[in-house]
Amino acid sequence: MSAAPSAPASRPDSARPDKPPPPPFVLWGSLGLIALTLVLGWDWEYGIGFSLRDIYDNLGRHNPVLEGVRNLDWSTLASPTVLAGFAETFQMAAIATILGGIVALPLALLNSVTGAPNTFVYVAVKNFNSFIRAIPDLIYAVFFVAAIGRGALPGVLALFFLSVAVIAKLTSDIVDGIDQGPVESARASGASHTQMVKTAVLPQILPGYTSFALYTFEINLRGSAVLGFVGAGGIGEVFSNYYQRGWYDRLVAVVIGFFVVVFVVDRISIAVRKRLL
Amino acid sequence: MAQTPTGGMTDAQAQQRSEAIVRPEKPFNRFRWTVTITLLTLFFVTSATVDIELTQLAALPERTLFYLGLMYTPPDVTEAPSAITAMIESLGMAWIGTMIGALVSFPLAFLAATNLFGKPVVFAARQVLNFFRSVPEIVFLILLLPVTGLSPVTVALALGISSIGTLGKLGAEVIEGIEGGPVEAAAAAGGGRLQRIRWAVIPQVIPEIVALWLYRFEINIRNSAVAGAVGAGGIGTLLVRQIGQVREWAAAGTSLAIMVIITLIVDTISGRVRRRIIRGPTRAVDLGANAGEQPEGTGPGAGPKREGPTGSVGGGAVVPV
Amino acid sequence: MITFENASVTYPGGVQALKDVSLELGEGEFVVIVGLSGAGKSTLIRAVNGLVPLTSGICRVGDQVVDAHDKKAIRALRAEVGMIFQTHNLVKRTTVLNNVLMGRLHRTATWRTLVGAYTKGDVELAMQALERVEIVEKAYVRASNLSGGQQQRVGIARALAQEPKVVLADEPTASLDPPTSHLVMRDLKSICRDLNITMLVNLHFLDLARAYGDRIVGLRAGELVYDGAAEDADENVFRDIYGRSLTADDVLEKEGSL
Repeated sequence: MSAAPSAPASRPDSARPDKPPPPPFVLWGSLGLIALTLVLGWDWEYGIGFSLRDIYDNLGRHNPVLEGVRNLDWSTLASPTVLAGFAETFQMAAIATILGGIVALPLALLNSVTGAPNTFVYVAVKNFNSFIRAIPDLIYAVFFVAAIGRGALPGVLALFFLSVAVIAKLTSDIVDGIDQGPVESARASGASHTQMVKTAVLPQILPGYTSFALYTFEINLRGSAVLGFVGAGGIGEVFSNYYQRGWYDRLVAVVIGFFVVVFVVDRISIAVRKRLL
Repeated sequence: MAQTPTGGMTDAQAQQRSEAIVRPEKPFNRFRWTVTITLLTLFFVTSATVDIELTQLAALPERTLFYLGLMYTPPDVTEAPSAITAMIESLGMAWIGTMIGALVSFPLAFLAATNLFGKPVVFAARQVLNFFRSVPEIVFLILLLPVTGLSPVTVALALGISSIGTLGKLGAEVIEGIEGGPVEAAAAAGGGRLQRIRWAVIPQVIPEIVALWLYRFEINIRNSAVAGAVGAGGIGTLLVRQIGQVREWAAAGTSLAIMVIITLIVDTISGRVRRRIIRGPTRAVDLGANAGEQPEGTGPGAGPKREGPTGSVGGGAVVPV
Repeated sequence: MITFENASVTYPGGVQALKDVSLELGEGEFVVIVGLSGAGKSTLIRAVNGLVPLTSGICRVGDQVVDAHDKKAIRALRAEVGMIFQTHNLVKRTTVLNNVLMGRLHRTATWRTLVGAYTKGDVELAMQALERVEIVEKAYVRASNLSGGQQQRVGIARALAQEPKVVLADEPTASLDPPTSHLVMRDLKSICRDLNITMLVNLHFLDLARAYGDRIVGLRAGELVYDGAAEDADENVFRDIYGRSLTADDVLEKEGSL
């Protein structure tokens, strides 16, 4: 630098703080994230062997599924099997959501500090809900198929448990966020715990609860696609059937059809949920 | 009799006034009725028409208990190690999948945020995200099977691709919820769009977005068990084999238990980390010195500020000033 | 009607909100409590219906000792004690009538509550309460559609529906403008007189306290520092209670003096 106007009377450098190291949480957190990814991604006994090179190589490979896309058999969409499959999926989802919603409501209420009459019940219900949530719907389906045979019933049961888990979790999240004012006033007039929950808590969570139920209906529709693979009914059985027989042209057509149905229901559901909230 | 707010009316006038106010009639709630009736009809119609064999229904309780018994009495822990390995594989698929989804959705989330980009860009980005959200994972899985075979990588890819949609949408919502102040300040200082994003937006949204990733990871753990059912690996494949094919009930019971336990553990850890990320590094501020001063304008909820997680919980007395 | 004997409240954090307060209120009295924020007004009021349990000392309502730990007894007591809140505390999503009916909860069977079928007698009482506060035409209106003053009147109706012996009001006019504040205070006063209900009101504004109270109780830092007739309470008295000189924020109507 050329002769600049003299800097202000020299401050000792020690007045300027050194840049602090990143907070330990962030540091260790980021390292942990990266380490975890590497460990789990690598190709060793405990990793999954992820390799971009492999993917690239394989993209060019003969892909019968994509071939099926080239000449889609749309007529299959009108076949009775397929229509029955769609209908069954819809029925399964509806029954599971309604029944699941009914059971989930008290579970959600008990799963919150405001709604539970005492700590013991709260802890018990909380653990119970976590437990139910930890089991994916397909596993329920596999179990019930093995226990009572194939058909739509195992599928309904599996979706039922899934619905209870999802609706209860989402609803109990909002129960803790309600306005406590009416709760206090209900208590102040001598209401019992149940009465307080019904008059002060329930009206506040009803819109959210209904919205979650609709959302769960969608999840159930999509879930039933997979359940069919293990024999639990719905459109998934059609998928599984066509896949195993190699009828890719029909498979893709049905999959696309399914996708369209899901999409339409999704749009409707979003519109209705917006109006509710 | 009610006292009228303005004195000065004669008694006769007051009498007339209170008689003139008639009690309203209870209105007929159309909305509620339609909803209830629709739901009931829906339920009965679907129950009646669904193709369920009643014999299955009748046998349900007894069979369930029977097989649960086979699974857990007595418990068989010899299979535990293979179950744990399989579960780790599922965790791996879920994690890698989530990372893939996170990486791809990250830029998309910005593009889909109305406070950062113009309408056409946002619209396009949102349609892309919606597409990914609508397609069920199973579809991606089927499409990918010929490419990468029946392996964990396939599942990871499928999970990753199907996570893009939700992560992108929720990420965009987080971004739209930030404070505009810092962005404005950066613009006023002459920052270009990318710089504004880098310095004003990203620091605000990173904690919540990372928390989103962890939340999606929890969901993907369940999805990977499901996806594994087609045979691509992980705990899903193991369980399907043990329950569905070879009917080794005791081993299945152990596998199921391992799956639940590990899922719950990971859920708890992930939940703690998420809360910690969002809360930030400050511990609950110690206001012991200020305990004497109490906030004004008390409502039932406002009270002397407390340290950390203490304070009345639920059924106890509310703590007001 | 209400008796405090050496009542003290210490919150879990160590804050002592009430220090050895002894007080006796008779039936049908209209008592106003004044004091700075944090002086213990809310605590005192909530000790009457057990929302805040006493750490030591006794509070009695009628013959009954207020014991927050006896769940059944405290609920029965609360049914006889109506409470009006600063923030109205209405269930916004439901009708005015349903809100008022909440005052009858203790006397309603649980199954009726769950289904939402109150007895005709209860509905009649609720309607009468609404007529009393002159808002009955809004009985089926959603609570969130009312103004602040109207919501507070619904809160009063809810307390009335309990057919209480005592009514507690915690800063009932805090979120209201001056004309509405006067309306509410007038309603409370007339209710107290006509129905012979003991009324205990927390007030922040000293001019309101003086205008409507029969008796004024002053708290400072948890201690009882004044207990006398309202007309005897002038500026000096209030200054003593507050422990500082008065400001414009202490009165509702900025013009005029105490």
